[in-house]
Amino acid sequence: MARNLGFLFLILSLTVCQAAIFEPVSDKHRSAALHLFRPVDGTFGSFEESYEALRTFEILGVKEFDISKSTCPLVLKTLEAFPPSSKDLFDALRVNHILRCEVEADIFEKIASKLQTSIKEASSLLDFYYGVQSLGLIKEQSPETNVQLSDASTSFHSIKSLSQSDGRWLFSFGSAESSTYAAGLALETLAGVISLASSELDQSMIGTVKSDIVKLFDSIERYDDGSLYFDDKLLDTHGHHGPLSTTSAVVRGVTSFSAVISGKLNLPGDKILGLARFFLGIGVPGNAKDLFTQIDSVACLEDNKVSIPLILSLPATVLSLTKKDQLKVKVNTVLGSSAPPLTVKLVQAFSSDNKIPVLENQELNADPESSDHSLDILSSNIDVGKYIFSFRVVLHDSENKKNYATGGQTQVPIFITGFINVDSSEIAILDSDLGSIETKQKLDLSGKTSLSLSANHLQKLSLHFELTTPHGNSFHPHQVFLKLSHESKVEHVFVVGKSGKHFKIILDFLGLVEKFYYLSGKYDLQLTVGDAAMENSFLIVLGHVELDLPQAPEKAPRPPPQLVDPSSIYRPKPEITHIFRATEKRPPQELSLAFSCLTVLPFFAFLIGLLRLGVNLKNFPSSALPATFALLFHCGIAAVLSLYLLFWLKLDLFTTLKALGFLGIFLLFVGHRTLSHLASTSTKLKSA
Amino acid sequence: MAMKLSIFVALIALLLPLLSTAFSPETPTDRRILVLLDDQSIKSSHSIFFKSFQTRGYDLDFRLADDPKISLQRYGQYLYDGLILFSPQAKRFGGSLDLAGVLEFVDSGRDLVIAADGAASDLIRDISTECGVDFDVDSAAMVIDHTSYAVSKTDGDHTLIASDEFIQSDVILGSEKIEAPVIFKGIAHSLNPANSLVLKVLSASPSAYSANPEAELSSPPSMSGSSISLVSVVQARNNARILISGSLDLFSDRLFGSGVQKAGSETTFEKSGNEQFVTELSKWVFHERGHLKAVSIQHHKVGEVVEPAMYRIKDELEFSVEIYEWSGKSWQPYVSDDVQVQFYMMSPYVLKTLSTNQKGLYSTSFKVPDVYGVFQFKVEYHRLGYTGLSLSKQIPVRPFRHNEYERFITTAFPYYGGSVSMMAGFFVFTIVYLYNK
Repeated sequence: MARNLGFLFLILSLTVCQAAIFEPVSDKHRSAALHLFRPVDGTFGSFEESYEALRTFEILGVKEFDISKSTCPLVLKTLEAFPPSSKDLFDALRVNHILRCEVEADIFEKIASKLQTSIKEASSLLDFYYGVQSLGLIKEQSPETNVQLSDASTSFHSIKSLSQSDGRWLFSFGSAESSTYAAGLALETLAGVISLASSELDQSMIGTVKSDIVKLFDSIERYDDGSLYFDDKLLDTHGHHGPLSTTSAVVRGVTSFSAVISGKLNLPGDKILGLARFFLGIGVPGNAKDLFTQIDSVACLEDNKVSIPLILSLPATVLSLTKKDQLKVKVNTVLGSSAPPLTVKLVQAFSSDNKIPVLENQELNADPESSDHSLDILSSNIDVGKYIFSFRVVLHDSENKKNYATGGQTQVPIFITGFINVDSSEIAILDSDLGSIETKQKLDLSGKTSLSLSANHLQKLSLHFELTTPHGNSFHPHQVFLKLSHESKVEHVFVVGKSGKHFKIILDFLGLVEKFYYLSGKYDLQLTVGDAAMENSFLIVLGHVELDLPQAPEKAPRPPPQLVDPSSIYRPKPEITHIFRATEKRPPQELSLAFSCLTVLPFFAFLIGLLRLGVNLKNFPSSALPATFALLFHCGIAAVLSLYLLFWLKLDLFTTLKALGFLGIFLLFVGHRTLSHLASTSTKLKSA
Repeated sequence: MAMKLSIFVALIALLLPLLSTAFSPETPTDRRILVLLDDQSIKSSHSIFFKSFQTRGYDLDFRLADDPKISLQRYGQYLYDGLILFSPQAKRFGGSLDLAGVLEFVDSGRDLVIAADGAASDLIRDISTECGVDFDVDSAAMVIDHTSYAVSKTDGDHTLIASDEFIQSDVILGSEKIEAPVIFKGIAHSLNPANSLVLKVLSASPSAYSANPEAELSSPPSMSGSSISLVSVVQARNNARILISGSLDLFSDRLFGSGVQKAGSETTFEKSGNEQFVTELSKWVFHERGHLKAVSIQHHKVGEVVEPAMYRIKDELEFSVEIYEWSGKSWQPYVSDDVQVQFYMMSPYVLKTLSTNQKGLYSTSFKVPDVYGVFQFKVEYHRLGYTGLSLSKQIPVRPFRHNEYERFITTAFPYYGGSVSMMAGFFVFTIVYLYNK
């Protein structure tokens, strides 16, 4: 059921809501067909696809592609080989039916005889279907071939025995589920059997099939917009067929059956019209298969013997009074060709709001050259608004009334639009208790205004204007909003109410303080007036009002969080560079160097002082060994001192200490020798 | 035995393609999408949309929403990478799928497309609410706009809206500008301000409002103006992407092919912007654009190539990362000038924009701050429409060693000079003291 509802909704959404308007097949279908069926290397793919393409183009009268050169050899090859699958043969014959390739008569002869035997042995509906349909195609392509079914009534009986009491059919004797799709195929097959029969078939059998069809139509399903369709509920072994292909199969079956029998099928024309509406309601399908199904079914309905549906359509349902549009109605057959002579009557037109009829019993002027019927709404004094027009199609010829289905009254929603005048608009700030006017300003709502008002919570803001239609009546649009938006993006929308002819709103800020979340500050005023029938719907920024509201109490509601602009979240962050610790302040280099020089000066003073004192080195040991030790001792001291210097320049502590250790031991040794020698020398001197 | 083995191999071969994973940089191709429909006819009425997926190499599995055989997982593995819910009226899904199942599917990093319309069921509304989008509660309400509607001879109630207020993002809507307005007919939704992940892709004009076109308005509409979102997207933190549209017709062949003229404008477009808009958006949703990956994060001292185990304060270092974007077929270098790296310890010490070589390599150099501790190189890249990159790499920073300080400070020369002259004096003095007579 959900599925059906879904389809219903789809149909509704694809067409205009309420009483829908169905358009006959048009150029949109042609361009869609050219777009969807595109030959690749001169063919459309398989025979089935080729047939679908060729058939669609044939019906739509499109002659863009000629594929006979590349496809005919393939068809010939298939027919000569007599494919084992009856479906392939059927598809090849179908393609040939349109392409009319040159096939020798004896090939047809051979195929026909094989088909005749296969029909005798057939056990399932599809075997019958392909066999009988193929024979029918051969009959049309080569009239001299003998395709007659000698025992047509046996075949008729075996097909009929698959039918069920509710008008559906079984696919084969073994299967348990009956199907509407199968019913369509069966009817088409029976129609083929009747036309191929060598002798007249029993009329009573045909009569029972007729009543089966009536029963089948009892299971028809309906959408709200008046379109009717068939649907198979069950999934069976042959795969599920959607409403479109199921309905299409039934339509093909019923129309071909009604074409071959002598009498008329007892089906109401409205049901056929409902089926036509179903196919047209789809609009332009987006895939090739559906487009073919739609176009093929519509073509079956175009010239069926039950009743030919006539489609009433309106090129435009939005009519502008300023542009002086005329109401135009077209009546066509489903494929868009012109209808027999007829008159379109406007039964009634009423406003959808208050259901008051504004027009009644008018005859539309027929344009003899086209299928248009028009009505001058400007002279008929209809004001702007939304109306429901109901039309009735009256056929001139009484004989045609039997053959055509017009569907009684058709209701169409019509919008009449016009230019709405805005008058005497005023905005004022009132003092609350006294009602005295503090400031009052006239507004020009058609141009730009930039109000600058201010108010406190004890005052009121009043806005007032008038709307009149081109006919001078007052007009009530669907959308009359006054929007106040605070700097912090908090918005408040008020519907401006109507009192008599005026639109008036009074904002008493005292009562609105809580609603405004006690937010003082600048509020922008924005007025929106719009309606479906209003051609000059507008949105204008009136200006701003500076509100001075009291402080928010403790428990006051907080304004709701506002949406954050995504660009503020998703953007690069400002760069950060690390600020390094500042280096210590140092005196200038020159100063340091100057002081360094100064520190060396005492050394020179020391040297000079020594020279002035007249130092000598007479005490230096004269003998070789002590002299060597003394020399080594001083070299050692010099080495230690230069080690300190090296320590500063490059060495680390560990190397220095190591070297110092060795040097120290060496110094201890040579120092001891030197000093003991010096001591012994001085003792000798003293004792001497 | 051999036969058993061959059967086993055949089974594995059959099962393998059924097991799918979410979009991952390793296996970004072979993506399966489950499409849930209210009715099989949607398949044909929206065929251009579905065909665009098939031509891009997706594998679509169409199911009716009430099909009892629907299941997203088998043996704990997801069978699909994406879910398209074109079943606005489904009150419940068939099989074991439910609201929690859909949310789990998204939580596993997979993508979702939701289309609602006037008759949207509570289930669809609930799923959208979980994604941060609230549809108008009034089920009869539609988006109406009396100033920027699509001019039509047969649709008079101004619910067919022509909007060109797109999000400014090349990554979401493609680099080619959408010239023609997008036609929309459906219901309004607003974004939850608490959710920062949801974005308005197509918003209504300031004069739009959400109301029942048949009934007179007595109270202000619940949604009005530009706060109405027509189409929104969500990019979750796990990079799952969600598209939410208030209109199923937006995707239909009929609106794809219909011409459009916005009210009040003279230009008529042969074809509406719907096809381009929807196709580009679907490319984004299914990660054909804007999915970034970062590889080979490298850092080293200036003049070296080997990555050190540790930096010293005040070292000059070079940092580089390669970023690529998935183009639907291959990883292409990502080019941008706003990728930033942070040198981070509790808070960023250095935040620097990387320069690119236009081939995906981003690099920069900076000086390590004079603070020691355990730092991180962080690339936090979150841009509108792109998947987020959050990379971090830890690196310790040490202070100077004892021998790394400055050795020859001029200011100290007087002290050294004093010592040296004192040492020289000492040397001379020892000689003089010992040998003077």
